[in-house]
Amino acid sequence: MFFEFLRLAGQSIVHRKLRSWLTVIGVFIGIAAVVGLITLGLGFEKTVNDQVAGIFGVDTFVVANANAMGGGPHGGSADEYALDLALLNSVEGVKVAAALRERTGFIQGQPDENGDRLQGFLPVLGLSPELLTDFESFTGEMNVMPGGRLFEPGDVEVAILDYEISQRLRVDVGDTILVAGDGSNELNLTIIGIMAPPDEEASDSDGGFGAAFSASSEGDTISVPYDTMDLLWGPADDVLVTLVRTEAGFDVDEVADRAEELLNDQGSEITAITYGDISEQIGQFTNIANAILAGIAGISLVVGAVGVMNTMFTSVLERTKEIGVMKAVGAKNSHVLSIFLIESGLMGFVGGLVGSAVGLGFAIIATKLINAAGLFMGNVDMAIVISPGLLAYTLLGAFALGAVAGFFPALRASRLPVVDALRYE
Amino acid sequence: MSLLQLSGVTKDYQLGKTTVRALRGLDLDVRAGEIIAIMGPSGSGKSTLMHILGALDRPTDGQALIDADDIAEMKERHLVTVRGKRIGFVFQTFNLIQTLTAQRNVELPMIFQGVSAGERHRRASALLDKVGLGDRVKHRPNELSGGERQRVAIARALANDPEIILADEPTGNLDTETGNAILALLKDLSVQDGKTVILVTHDPEAAVIADRTVRLRDGCVESDSAGGVA
Repeated sequence: MFFEFLRLAGQSIVHRKLRSWLTVIGVFIGIAAVVGLITLGLGFEKTVNDQVAGIFGVDTFVVANANAMGGGPHGGSADEYALDLALLNSVEGVKVAAALRERTGFIQGQPDENGDRLQGFLPVLGLSPELLTDFESFTGEMNVMPGGRLFEPGDVEVAILDYEISQRLRVDVGDTILVAGDGSNELNLTIIGIMAPPDEEASDSDGGFGAAFSASSEGDTISVPYDTMDLLWGPADDVLVTLVRTEAGFDVDEVADRAEELLNDQGSEITAITYGDISEQIGQFTNIANAILAGIAGISLVVGAVGVMNTMFTSVLERTKEIGVMKAVGAKNSHVLSIFLIESGLMGFVGGLVGSAVGLGFAIIATKLINAAGLFMGNVDMAIVISPGLLAYTLLGAFALGAVAGFFPALRASRLPVVDALRYE
Repeated sequence: MSLLQLSGVTKDYQLGKTTVRALRGLDLDVRAGEIIAIMGPSGSGKSTLMHILGALDRPTDGQALIDADDIAEMKERHLVTVRGKRIGFVFQTFNLIQTLTAQRNVELPMIFQGVSAGERHRRASALLDKVGLGDRVKHRPNELSGGERQRVAIARALANDPEIILADEPTGNLDTETGNAILALLKDLSVQDGKTVILVTHDPEAAVIADRTVRLRDGCVESDSAGGVA
């Protein structure tokens, strides 16, 4: 009998085309907003998660200043912290740990034709060689100019210079520079490589989180092996970031907890951030965003529901006589109730269908525009996530919205006394 | 034997603060298979009587038996079944559903009785054939003439094969010739199919087909005479 009622309701809707469409429009605007914004949110979440997962993998965690937690994945670089890298490397389950520390040091280059040497205070980065060999997804690709090379294990009194500063210091591969650290610590470091000058296209293609760790952005940085920093400035209390890869078969979260506890017992104030932690934070962020969106969309849905209710009350009034006739030819109250509920539910459903299509279209076009303009996280292409669950719930919800909005009009219709309804003109 | 038996039926209406007594202790027997014309001036209680005979309304007092069941005592659910299965209505203004084709209008009472789609279709087609509209099944009411609409309404009244056809001024909106054709159709239903036809009208010409004429005045039976005499 449901299908017969569905057919009766459908015929009634089609008969009142204009009014039905206006009612449907009232519903679909709200639905389109919900579907569009949530689809965009899902795409955002997936893209960020994929980016983070691509950098972290499933076996890596980051050590950052404990007070920087909550500032997002970049927050760690804002606060330096003390670290015993050897201790970290000895933690059970740690395969390799690599760190980056930074100081400002007094530098002296080679003399020019007049015998003058350029000298001054410049940023000195200490890199674990493993950063370049084991964590390329974080650092991005580092290119040295022909004739040079990157750090290798065992390197001590060597340095790699940014192209610009190598020009100003008048040094080339094989030359030495003087670097002075704390107290009377000073070393003559041999240049083993010059970074390739920043290339617009190359830096464009290298986006994402990797850019945050890139050592070549300033143009006046002097990079030395991590251990060399000990000789100049003593034990590390100036670490920007530490990356840790775990052994296969170990749970990354367990190892991270163990390392965090051990290091903090030794006086560090650090926190270990795994992919799970970041993913959780992204999830929390998008959940809050979705809740706000749902609230806004909910308001427009209430407006749509009032529209359905208004249309249904008008429809019941207009069809009072028809209701009387149906009852005279044997329709039960429950039959009349069903027909009107299905009619309003159907309008909600069609609103949901149109709204979902419009919302999805909006999300897809918006994503393409964002990607075309390169607005998202420096040229990362944002994903489009079409969630079947979202669509199913939306359609179900839209039908329910219509039916709920139509309930009181339908109840009124079903309770009309048949004699009065037949007399109605 | 009596199919419908009314004894001492009264019906009060509440109009604002005043109570209007439309029927005042009315007695009436309707025998199976007869055509009975119920006549009377406006306000005589014709419509009210029709509502009670059609199980659309309950009497305030008295008995209204259909077979042995008292309409006055029936629950709404039971009244609906009586209306759906035992009585077919024909109205002055046809009262077809405008959004449905002739075929679907005739199927409507069967839908509410849960008749299967195939059976509905077969019976509706046969009934439209019977009333002479076999070629108009796909037309909607606004594409049909008044006489054709009333024929659809008669086919609809017959949908669940009821014993009683209750016709309220069936020729009231039709010209004489068309009206006569409709009356002939109703007569056939009684003569050929053994239906009980209750014809409520104030038109003496319509009453001509009746086996018996009952006149109402002020909510009571004024006269009850054999034949359809004007």
